[in-house]
Amino acid sequence: MTGAWVGWLPWAVAAWLFGVGLYGIISSRHYVHLIGCLTIVQSATYVLLLSIGYRRGAGPPIFHAHPPSTPAVDPVMQVLVLTDIVVGATVTALLLVLVLQFHKRRGIVDPQQAAPLT
Amino acid sequence: MKPRVRTALFLAAAAGAMPALVRALPHFPAFGDHPSPYADRVLASAPVDRHVQNVVTALNFDYRGFDTLGEEFILLCAVTGVTVLLRGSRGEHRSARTGQVEGRPVIPPGEAVTLIARLFGVATFVLGLSVALHATSTPGGGFQGGVLIASGFLLVFLGEGYRGWRAMMQAELMDAVEAAGALVYVGCGLVGVWQGLPYLTNTLPLGTAGSVWAGGLMPVINAGVTCAVLGGFGMLFIEFLEETRVNPDAEQDTEAPKS
Amino acid sequence: MIIAALAPFPVVLPLGVGALLLGVSKHLPRRGPDVLAILTAAATSVICGLLARSAAETGPITYWFGQWHLLGDQVVGISFVIDLASAGVGALVGFLFAATLVFAWGFFEEVHAHFHVIMLVFMAGMVGFCLTGDLINMFVWFELMSVAGFAATGFALRSSAIAGALNFTIVNTVGAYVFLAGIGLLYGQGGALDMVALGRSVAAHPNDPVMALGFVLIASALLTKAAQLPFQMWLGDAHAVAPSPVSVIFSGAMVSIGLFGLAKLGFRVFGGAPEIVGESRRALLVIGLASAVVGAMLALGQRHIKRLLAFSTISHAGIMLTGLSQMSQDGEAGLLAYLFGHGLVKGAMFMLAGFIAAKCGGIDEITLRGRGRDYWPVGIMMALGGLALAGLPFGPMDEGFKLIEHGAADAGQHWIATVLLVSATLTGAAVLRVAGRIFGGWGELSGDERHGETEEEQEPGHQPAVLLAGPAALLLGLGLIGWDDGGALASRAAAALIALPEQPAPALPGSPGPWIAVLCAVAITGFELARRHLPHWFVALVEAFRVPPTRVLQRMQSGLVTDYVTWLAVGLAVLATAFVFAV
Repeated sequence: MTGAWVGWLPWAVAAWLFGVGLYGIISSRHYVHLIGCLTIVQSATYVLLLSIGYRRGAGPPIFHAHPPSTPAVDPVMQVLVLTDIVVGATVTALLLVLVLQFHKRRGIVDPQQAAPLT
Repeated sequence: MKPRVRTALFLAAAAGAMPALVRALPHFPAFGDHPSPYADRVLASAPVDRHVQNVVTALNFDYRGFDTLGEEFILLCAVTGVTVLLRGSRGEHRSARTGQVEGRPVIPPGEAVTLIARLFGVATFVLGLSVALHATSTPGGGFQGGVLIASGFLLVFLGEGYRGWRAMMQAELMDAVEAAGALVYVGCGLVGVWQGLPYLTNTLPLGTAGSVWAGGLMPVINAGVTCAVLGGFGMLFIEFLEETRVNPDAEQDTEAPKS
Repeated sequence: MIIAALAPFPVVLPLGVGALLLGVSKHLPRRGPDVLAILTAAATSVICGLLARSAAETGPITYWFGQWHLLGDQVVGISFVIDLASAGVGALVGFLFAATLVFAWGFFEEVHAHFHVIMLVFMAGMVGFCLTGDLINMFVWFELMSVAGFAATGFALRSSAIAGALNFTIVNTVGAYVFLAGIGLLYGQGGALDMVALGRSVAAHPNDPVMALGFVLIASALLTKAAQLPFQMWLGDAHAVAPSPVSVIFSGAMVSIGLFGLAKLGFRVFGGAPEIVGESRRALLVIGLASAVVGAMLALGQRHIKRLLAFSTISHAGIMLTGLSQMSQDGEAGLLAYLFGHGLVKGAMFMLAGFIAAKCGGIDEITLRGRGRDYWPVGIMMALGGLALAGLPFGPMDEGFKLIEHGAADAGQHWIATVLLVSATLTGAAVLRVAGRIFGGWGELSGDERHGETEEEQEPGHQPAVLLAGPAALLLGLGLIGWDDGGALASRAAAALIALPEQPAPALPGSPGPWIAVLCAVAITGFELARRHLPHWFVALVEAFRVPPTRVLQRMQSGLVTDYVTWLAVGLAVLATAFVFAV
């Protein structure tokens, strides 16, 4: 019974994080908060990817301290997560700068009052 | 849309997606227990074919090196975009004097902060360098090491204050380091082409597993990535921190924020 | 052999030159970066052209990076699969970039080397996306393309529409995360990342709901990039904020490439899953038709020229998606031909919009009425473009339309062509109206478009008119040239794209349809511009039909990113339900 629960929990957590992050975005009243919620959506992808890569009883795919035939988790998913992190960091930086410029021009940071053109 | 309508629509969408997710859930790969032939092959191959102990690094810079090239340029592109956005509105001219934003106090860092920042700054810098260098044998690599080194820079700002930061960080140098790192990566790929092989073929001597030079082309590419990342993040920090000061030589900003 | 060795260079060359420019731009002569960038774009186009020709003669070229192909029986390397279609689209992209960089000569004085760096990297991402045969590699170039696009909107510092850049970035980033989730699911079930290998896995488990979910996630990301309903709302805002050279690329290439990627995904990876293909036929048809109609209606109701063109792009991308949805050689051939034609014509239109912004001092159709009288040749070009968009039977756009029409007729759905023709008519009429108002001075009385959003936008205007209008004329000309073998070439490329044996290209007789559409477009334009001279009751009657639905659509296009993401969530939910329950 315990095994069955653990089986679907990672996917449920990923879906929940995705949903909560999206909800945060659509109800946000502050752009920086919105960017934080975007990061939560990103975390959902981390959980999903790393859960797909997980192997029970396996260690990291780094064979410095143990011999190369030790069971290891999936390194391909870890590479994808690294890509994900780089993408997230760069886009967050760009977004923050855009928010900065937006604030300079409009004096507000509320996405719900930010219709681009009059 | 009114907020209540929007929330209702979103919740309806979330509820509407539930049946599909429930239907798909039993078919998801068994957590911790499903076959991954790709991973098995690469885990077996990297220590033997490439003399490398960190399989993630091997995937990053060798098996899937072309992906990482794209990633590095994503970083470069984003940093360039940030530079354009911030410098464009602030003006390229950077005064040697540092101005102040009205109404914002300038508190010099306390002595304890300076001491801790200096100690930890050096330690972070060394740690970052080590993480970057030992990419092929211990956890880490160019991306991780580069970010650590850049964090070390930030500790300089904390400890020395804005004046010390400005004295140490040169935007042109960061730009050059970043560009050089990206060029090194592109160039490493051409080594293979020069020999008539596909782009990014690893043709350098592979060395012994566990050494800093293991992996053939990987340490070189890794060095390039380290430079690109630390240059990129250094640039980001410079540009962001410039926003906390007003250029005293610039004209008054006449554009008042519209409400 | 030698040609195959060129395979990585359409991507590596612009990346390398971009990095070089970033480092040494300060030491180059003043126009150095411009020249270097234009040459690089041209070289990329030429290399893609050579690769296309080689692929057409000897079959698709598969290039394995790092000499990694198989470990045992498992594909572990990254490949470029270069066939006629992929390399052809790559060549178009390179050519569009070269033209737009000529157009952008002298555009940006302060940060101009940075502009060229971003544009070169943008091009590399787009070409890489077209050529790649690996799913994560596809995502990397997709994201590079996106980030370069986000960065490029940052050049519009004088624009008050910076919120548009935020909307663009946020919506597309959610799309990127959805893409990643889809890749994770497909890898988890299929055990491979190479598209061909993944295709085999999918064919082995055709009724797997998780794979269907993976398809939905990746398709949604690509449909977001392609600005299709309900993921389309960011495009209008993005075009309003981006400078003209960047808009040329967004509408001329980036949106279409999203559809091209979707076609590759649908055929190469999911070709072996008949339920998913079948459901795609239905779902993508609905989305395509809806986008075509909604885009056209919104275009007619705009006064901001770039937003008008943006909505017309949504509409034409909807036409392309309708072709894609047929999931047959004819449909894909239609997609490819239309992609080429639309890219050239729409690119020219955005260049002309930039011309207007530079020389006439604004971007609002109504306030600029008559200010373009001195530049009437440009007006003629714009009118020609409008007619082309409406369906003028010359050039690749018409070829594509006929192929799509033929495909729909084969499936017994003749009404589809009518819907598409009507959409094209409306968008063409919108562009014609702009041309008439600005360059002819007609249309004193404006219709509903006077309620549209607008802004004061200025772009640098010191460049010579020839430099601004010249590339547009070239693009427009190429977009209207009929090519005798065009249909056959498109069919061949489509066969290569869908990796099935080539069927003979259909014979497509000329039909009166396009001429009727063109006439209708002119009639609608006449109505719009001569409103003052028409009987009151007639105008009121037409408006009664047209205004209420347009108002509803405009209110949905609220400009708030929170609304856009809500619609994205709705779209995801609907598509997920449709596909997961179809397998």
